[in-house]
Amino acid sequence: MTATRDLVLRARAGDARAFEDLVRAHYRAAYTTGRALTGNDMDAEDVVQDGFIRALERLDECDPDRFAGWLLTIVRNRAHNIREREQVRTAAAIEDVDPAGPDRADLGTERHEIRRVLEQAMAQLSPVQREILLLHDLEGWRHRDIAESLAMSEVMARQHLFQARKRLRELLPQDDLKEYLP
Amino acid sequence: MNDDPMDLRAFDPARDPVRYERAIGRIMDRAALPLAARRARVTTMGQITTWWRPMLALAAALTLAAVGVLTQVRPAVAATDGADAGVAEALGIPTALVTWMGAAETPTAAQVFSALEEAQ
Repeated sequence: MTATRDLVLRARAGDARAFEDLVRAHYRAAYTTGRALTGNDMDAEDVVQDGFIRALERLDECDPDRFAGWLLTIVRNRAHNIREREQVRTAAAIEDVDPAGPDRADLGTERHEIRRVLEQAMAQLSPVQREILLLHDLEGWRHRDIAESLAMSEVMARQHLFQARKRLRELLPQDDLKEYLP
Repeated sequence: MNDDPMDLRAFDPARDPVRYERAIGRIMDRAALPLAARRARVTTMGQITTWWRPMLALAAALTLAAVGVLTQVRPAVAATDGADAGVAEALGIPTALVTWMGAAETPTAAQVFSALEEAQ
């Protein structure tokens, strides 16, 4: 029995510890998807929070062996809802929102700068490209799992990743980043 | 073309531990109620499951006891077959017909008509 499967089965029985472990194990991937689709940290956190609660409510419908992909589908749907809501807001209002929230001031200046540069570059990618890039290069997901999660072929997932990296490198020369990366 | 993975650690939500823990905490706060509901449901189902086997055993025992009682009572009822004639008479059924019902031989039509006429 896989760890995730065991955690899902225990969480179904109301085991809070198991659910917390499930949240910790999948938070980063869920956040990555939420971040890629909403474009900012605050909405990403809201989307992930809603996603996990929705997942808990519907946990009986989930195949425990496919929890990760199932969770990301929920997060993706919540993110789409947020984006639709965002579209009715004015662009000026969006610009007023600090993307990282109040805690951002706590981050170091260099990290802050890396984020700012990366965020600007990432914003030029499509939501699918962002999601695939983050899931693969940050979360270490395999092409097969990404393709399954996004209901596309593995070849298509690879193509999106290739295009995303290419575009990001054009926008973000590695020499510039080396100044900030450890 | 360089297609190596890119360093995107700047987007790792766990890089800010305080914010990360607060986010996990908020999820767990909201999850408390649904988790409690799940525990309650499991407890109810568990009680039913716990009681199900003893109840089944008790039902089986009662069934066996009932069969035993019925087996003992049946001969006693058979012994009072004579009472059937009295009941039949009270209902207006000729005694001869009741006798034939318990007998192995089948009466002829003439015998049945004769018995019915006698009863009237």
